[in-house]
Amino acid sequence: MAGAGGGGCPAGGNDLQWCFSQVKGAVDEDVAEADIISTVEFNYSGDLLATGDKGGRVVIFQREQENKSRPHSRGEYNVYSTFQSHEPEFDYLKSLEIEEKINKIRWLPQQNAAHFLLSTNDKTIKLWKISERDKRAEGYNLKDEDGRLRDPFRITALRVPKLKPMDLMVEASPRRIFANAHTYHINSISVNSDHETYLSADDLRINLWHLEITDRSFNIVDIKPVNMEELTEVITAAEFHPHQCNVFVYSSSKGTVRLCDMRSSALCDRHSKFFEEPEDPSSRSFFSEIISSISDVKFSHSGRYMMTRDYLSVKVWDLNMESRPVETHQVHEYLRSKLCSLYENDCIFDKFECCWSGSDSAIMTGSYNNFFRMFDRNTRRDVTLEASRENSKPRASLKPRKVCTGGKRKKDEISVDSLDFNKKILHTAWHPAENIIAVAATNNLYIFQDKVN
Amino acid sequence: MEVQKEAQRIMTLSVWKMYHSRMQRGGLRLHRSLQLSLVMRSARELYLSAKVEAHEPEVPLSPVRSPDPRLHQSRESEAVAEAAPPDGEQPSPEPMDTREAPRAEETPARCAPRPTTKVSRKRRNSSLSDGGDVGLAPSKKARLEEEQEEGASSEVPDRLQPPPAQAEGAFPNLARVLQRRFSGLLNCSPAAPPTAPPACEAKPACRPADNMLNVLVRAVVAF
Repeated sequence: MAGAGGGGCPAGGNDLQWCFSQVKGAVDEDVAEADIISTVEFNYSGDLLATGDKGGRVVIFQREQENKSRPHSRGEYNVYSTFQSHEPEFDYLKSLEIEEKINKIRWLPQQNAAHFLLSTNDKTIKLWKISERDKRAEGYNLKDEDGRLRDPFRITALRVPKLKPMDLMVEASPRRIFANAHTYHINSISVNSDHETYLSADDLRINLWHLEITDRSFNIVDIKPVNMEELTEVITAAEFHPHQCNVFVYSSSKGTVRLCDMRSSALCDRHSKFFEEPEDPSSRSFFSEIISSISDVKFSHSGRYMMTRDYLSVKVWDLNMESRPVETHQVHEYLRSKLCSLYENDCIFDKFECCWSGSDSAIMTGSYNNFFRMFDRNTRRDVTLEASRENSKPRASLKPRKVCTGGKRKKDEISVDSLDFNKKILHTAWHPAENIIAVAATNNLYIFQDKVN
Repeated sequence: MEVQKEAQRIMTLSVWKMYHSRMQRGGLRLHRSLQLSLVMRSARELYLSAKVEAHEPEVPLSPVRSPDPRLHQSRESEAVAEAAPPDGEQPSPEPMDTREAPRAEETPARCAPRPTTKVSRKRRNSSLSDGGDVGLAPSKKARLEEEQEEGASSEVPDRLQPPPAQAEGAFPNLARVLQRRFSGLLNCSPAAPPTAPPACEAKPACRPADNMLNVLVRAVVAF
């Protein structure tokens, strides 16, 4: 596993040595529910990193400029802005509480000095503008310095307000609120490559929005059966193609992915491609339906492949081959014999996400016990790493971990029975251009990077 | 026999989870409900086929029984998913009704007594509950758990074992008493099934409130 991914080319995954960079969040043992991180996302340049949590907050970290006096600390991420994106609400018509938990954050491509992002909870999507202010206008005619209106009779002369420098302030302001379009719980949002529209998906429907228009959206997929008793599958995730603005995919609880082309019809109920792998009848169990449900689908940066995550594995599909995935990687196959207890303790319903490296050469996804897995697509090698505060000294290398699957446990191996299922890594993100990863472990955000040569 | 027991255990667990996900903050999740119902269906199929293998005489009954739990499921989903209440007769969600199995009128027509006495004897043996129906056991336990504040769902299995006896003793009576007391206060007639869903959904909102209120809510939920 050792050895650097030399040559300056950003190789992926385990061929490089990962080292600890930073950890954010409280050290406390008892974690407040509201502080649990529920989504992590880099922006297009990778200079900003946003997290959302179950308390409805969004925290944005900004990468510091390289510091020449400390050459080893390559741009650390520090808090840039924190704001309350969603508040708990109550739906009086349905007598239902709406959680403030941030389900997804998606950045918009940057077009001016300000940054924009979409954040969503179960029902409402919000467009936020994050901008800097370091100047302040002074000397208004109609109001004084405190903002109070001046007595018009005392205004004897007109003056031109002046911009005065002030301490840098980062403002987050809600620009658009897209509400009342989802009956079920929103699981995905995805910004289109046309930079003007985005989609939002709930359990049964996908809507298409214009970023400027909040009072209407177009329903592009609706799989709600007329009779709900005939319901057999739900939408679990959806994403736009990174380059073709007419193409999007959505995954289902049956383990299939449908690719739709918005040019073919306004309502994309008929897919243009259907990705499905035949089930292996020998591995059927009570829980087959649950573990085959896809928890996340992501296009590669190139747009040629997509990756799907189900409970036990992660698969890479070539968009040109619908019959089976081109790669299947087992994430934690040793849990297959433990499905019953995982059903009992509800872990089987966990929704693991997955992400691509900047060069598409490696993929990453989470597991239990604060372990996360990386798969190098070229060398076909994989590695298990751990996000932990132990050994979290700057630049300390991450030691590959191994789970003992039957037989005699070797030194440094951990047995399946001693895995901590309360520590799970569901959300991870990979910097779009460099080997920097952000890993959310409950209320902590770990940032790792490859070792500098 | 082993397989049958396991299937039965998973069925019980599923019903318990279905019932409990109604209490979940943010409302019932369609994906989870669907998955629970699928697990329950495959467990039921296995259970029934195991029974066939054991040369049970009442095989013809099984197809009649099969649709029931699925109905429970989709009803639940619909109730929350704002869809119109389906075909009349039994609009209120079933896990609640079955709890009152000994008294409720609809249960005889439904799942509880349908499995023959032999089945219920087996259930008793499996120490899950001494009631007749799968639905009966979990809902009682669920209520007990509520009492201890909405517990983490991960603790489900541990709590599943010991409490049924006490739960049964304490609650149905209390619920009955409270219901008699408070039915007059409710603006809907207590006989009308719509009483149940609002009470249940109001629950999350009442979470921070004091115990008395919780007891009330529980009592109302029971009806």
